[in-house]
Amino acid sequence: MQPGYFPANILFILIFVAANGFFVFTAYKLYRILRLGKPEDRFDRTSERIKSVVTFVLGQRRVIREPAGWGHFFIFWGFVIISIGSLETFGVGIYHGFAYWKFLGKGLSSLLYLLQDLFCAAVVVALCVALYRRFVVKPERLRYEDQKAANQDACIIIGLIFLLVVLLFGARAAEYLLAQGEAGRYFPRLAFVSVAFSSLFAGLTKEGLQAWYSFCWWGHTVVILGFLIYIPFSKHLHLLGAIPNVFFRRLSSVGELSKMDLEDETAETYGVSKIEEFSWKQLLDLYACTECGRCSDNCPATLTGKPLSPKLTIHHLKEHLQAKGKMLLAQQGEAEAATANPEGELAKVLIGDICQHDELWSCTTCGNCIENCPVFIEHIDKYVDMRRYLVLMESNFSPEVQNVMRNWETNSNPWGLGFATRGDWAQGLSVKTLAEDSQVEYLYYVGCAGSFDERAKKISSALVTLLNEAGVSFGILGAEEKCCGETARRLGNEYLFQSMATELVEIINSYGVKKIITACPHGYNCLKNEYPQFGAHWEVYHHSEFLATLLEEGQLQAQQGMDKNLVFHDSCYLGRYNDLYEEPRTVLNSILGLKFSEMDRSRNKAFCCGAGGGRMWMEETLGDQKINDARTGQALKLEPDIIGVCCPFCTTMFEDGLKTCDMDEKVKVYDIAEILAQTVKSEKEQGGQ
Amino acid sequence: MAQGVCVITEFREGTFRRVSFEIASEGRKLADELGEPLLAVALGEGVEEVASDLGGYGVEKVYVVDDASLKDYRAETCVPVVAEILQNISPKVVLTTASVDGKDFSARLAARLGAGLATDCTELKIEGGGLKAKRPMYAGKAFAWCEWSDGTWPQMASCRPNVMDCLAPDTSKKAEVEKAEVALPAGNLTQVVSIEKDAGGKLDLTEAEVIVSGGRGMKGPENFAMLEELAGILGGTVGASRSAVDSGWRPHADQVGQTGKVVTPNLYVACGISGAIQHLAGMSSSKYIVAVNKDPEAPIFSKADYGIVEDLFQFLPVFIEEVKTLKSTC
Repeated sequence: MQPGYFPANILFILIFVAANGFFVFTAYKLYRILRLGKPEDRFDRTSERIKSVVTFVLGQRRVIREPAGWGHFFIFWGFVIISIGSLETFGVGIYHGFAYWKFLGKGLSSLLYLLQDLFCAAVVVALCVALYRRFVVKPERLRYEDQKAANQDACIIIGLIFLLVVLLFGARAAEYLLAQGEAGRYFPRLAFVSVAFSSLFAGLTKEGLQAWYSFCWWGHTVVILGFLIYIPFSKHLHLLGAIPNVFFRRLSSVGELSKMDLEDETAETYGVSKIEEFSWKQLLDLYACTECGRCSDNCPATLTGKPLSPKLTIHHLKEHLQAKGKMLLAQQGEAEAATANPEGELAKVLIGDICQHDELWSCTTCGNCIENCPVFIEHIDKYVDMRRYLVLMESNFSPEVQNVMRNWETNSNPWGLGFATRGDWAQGLSVKTLAEDSQVEYLYYVGCAGSFDERAKKISSALVTLLNEAGVSFGILGAEEKCCGETARRLGNEYLFQSMATELVEIINSYGVKKIITACPHGYNCLKNEYPQFGAHWEVYHHSEFLATLLEEGQLQAQQGMDKNLVFHDSCYLGRYNDLYEEPRTVLNSILGLKFSEMDRSRNKAFCCGAGGGRMWMEETLGDQKINDARTGQALKLEPDIIGVCCPFCTTMFEDGLKTCDMDEKVKVYDIAEILAQTVKSEKEQGGQ
Repeated sequence: MAQGVCVITEFREGTFRRVSFEIASEGRKLADELGEPLLAVALGEGVEEVASDLGGYGVEKVYVVDDASLKDYRAETCVPVVAEILQNISPKVVLTTASVDGKDFSARLAARLGAGLATDCTELKIEGGGLKAKRPMYAGKAFAWCEWSDGTWPQMASCRPNVMDCLAPDTSKKAEVEKAEVALPAGNLTQVVSIEKDAGGKLDLTEAEVIVSGGRGMKGPENFAMLEELAGILGGTVGASRSAVDSGWRPHADQVGQTGKVVTPNLYVACGISGAIQHLAGMSSSKYIVAVNKDPEAPIFSKADYGIVEDLFQFLPVFIEEVKTLKSTC
């Protein structure tokens, strides 16, 4: 049946409407499942959101961060361009005389055809690369629980796209030959791949060509419509999910967890214990996932053998959402359905059946999963929301966590040391408390480690030396200071966090503080990104950025060189959470002779030290290696004299890691403030001599 | 009319737990101040044979219920039985333990009796014919003295283990043993399937009065034998820092610190432990801390009452000999 002529055009229209109808029906169902989620406002800053779509969907910015992503880039654009061609194909299906060149002119359509040819050829190459990767290279992240099903799904998609391209070239080759010498037909010669392909069919008669053309046309049409039907049932659901997910992505810092409404008297439960208690955006994340595995590839928990793989978490949640969502939509009473079908999805428990306890608690909230996800899936919030349920509703957490929470409650520090001694570290240093003098420009918020931990106290006093050297007007809160509560929040104890935050905001605001310096990335992130939820709007600086500015402005100078090899470790909460990658390096670069090298996993791919997300206060018994040992090993490969850090947690984790492998005599861990203070101090001491 | 002081003992695996003797000794003191008798309740399997031993600590009469169903602590069996006995004898003061089981038990018993309960007390006395109890608050940063409203009996207090003095038992004294006539509840809601114990059945760290701990400075698991020996002489048990546990030298159950056990012994001897804050958080409220470390800068010395800056392999053998000599002469 020749396309575009009666009755083929009627048949085409019927098939076309049926396929699209079915697609719309499935898509609508997916939409309704999404709407089972809780509300969340992601409709602000529209222009920024459109810009994200342009950059990250059209530009594939995050996809092409890795070489394999270029394959995706070409398949994506090939697909878009083929789709533009498909519109023409569909037009032909309705009326045989339809052609772009009649509207666009021959020049423009020549270009379009050339582009289509080029991208289609690129797609074929990219598909071969994809197959090679999947079946020959077999990277870790393309490993699935059900490898057969995953490979099958991938093969169907790759096969369909391949068929699509081949049939397109087939139809075009025939079109080119048919257009030769026939008035009213035109095929641009510029589409040289199609033209070259046509030489295969040069011997065919006009009828033969016509039949070949019809075959290819119908084949192409059926495949593309088949694709449309298949997409929502495969992992290629991401074709539907990813674009809106990029549009609705989080525009604020990843370091800001949602504020729970603890005053809501109608709330029956806190946190998330059922899939439909996630927000619609959190559910959209699940649709957007392609299971590319970049999250797990960079996850410190996965890489050290913990029972956590962000990819699998999302995969399990997605399967559960689709199965349970359908049943919920079937408008049955939930309990009824669960008893009617005890094996069914409704009877499954989110925390226990779908996600495991150890999985939730293994997360260090390092943010590598989020940072590396091409479609902006937010994994951490999901883990924290489920932790919130376990902590607030069931008091279900390990005994170590109970200990640390009690310590925060009683003494506002994780070790339970006397709160009244919080300011003692500053005795003998020239530091004033705000109570003594509140007319200072900056508050130095020391934090728990800097106040109580003998090791971290050295960092505090180094920073004080530097601030005094630069003539900065600052003060501390001393015994009045409280813990910022960030770790309590990440451990799911939102209630405790909110009470701590409210208290600290009140204390700080009572002195009219406007600007704050911290030496702990966790406190920094919390004060900067989370405290605005409690009405606090201060300028917050991490000491790395503050010192970098002092150096750049010449208020501070490293007068002494340092002939050492240093490897620098990026803190998660500084880099990925707050985009401070250059500042600590600026500080280190200011020191003459200091040679510093970068680990393979550095900057936005930096590997966590293992202490974030409350893991600092928990035993690490699972997996085949401790995260801090793994990270220490990565640093030691570069044979440093010093491991440079800018976080008290990282300091502890590296020092423990060095002790474990008996390297603590040879390699030292220093905060950048300590390193800088050494160079400043020695000059001063020399001057004094 | 309420009369007497009654202590509720803990009987496990054929013996009374030490804390039972502590509350008996404390109860004796209170009973003397009140001028009233000291009674005890003892539940358990095989408790009848040894119940009279409580006499050594000043108990005059013990009410026993000896039954296999009371072998392990279960709230549903133990609480109703003790409640019924107490309702029959109606004492003025009831002392319980603030051990792991005791904490659960005391709260339930108090609710059942409608009695006021001061938990986790560290000191008790009689004032104005009634009990006064001291309990630590805010992780030991403050103390509260509790009193009961006039005429509310019994006055109940649970006592923190290892705090109250234990009398040296007078083995010549035996307590009168009476089988309590009470109905045993069916107790079919819960059952103890098994009790998993730490290897060696050694004294639980949180209950030990003396702890000798080793850290990375011990250099290897074999050297902990020295600490075992010292702990043995001092009647204590051995603990470890996280790095010693991480190195696989000691089981995790031995770990003292933030993520291990939080301990409060009378004497804590830290050998080769630098004293990272994670460790200090677990032992800094010990009564006396002795630190042995060759690094004078080690943070442990900031918490230690006695600091010995010396190679522990030099110091410990000499020290052990000295303690042995001292012990043998007294």
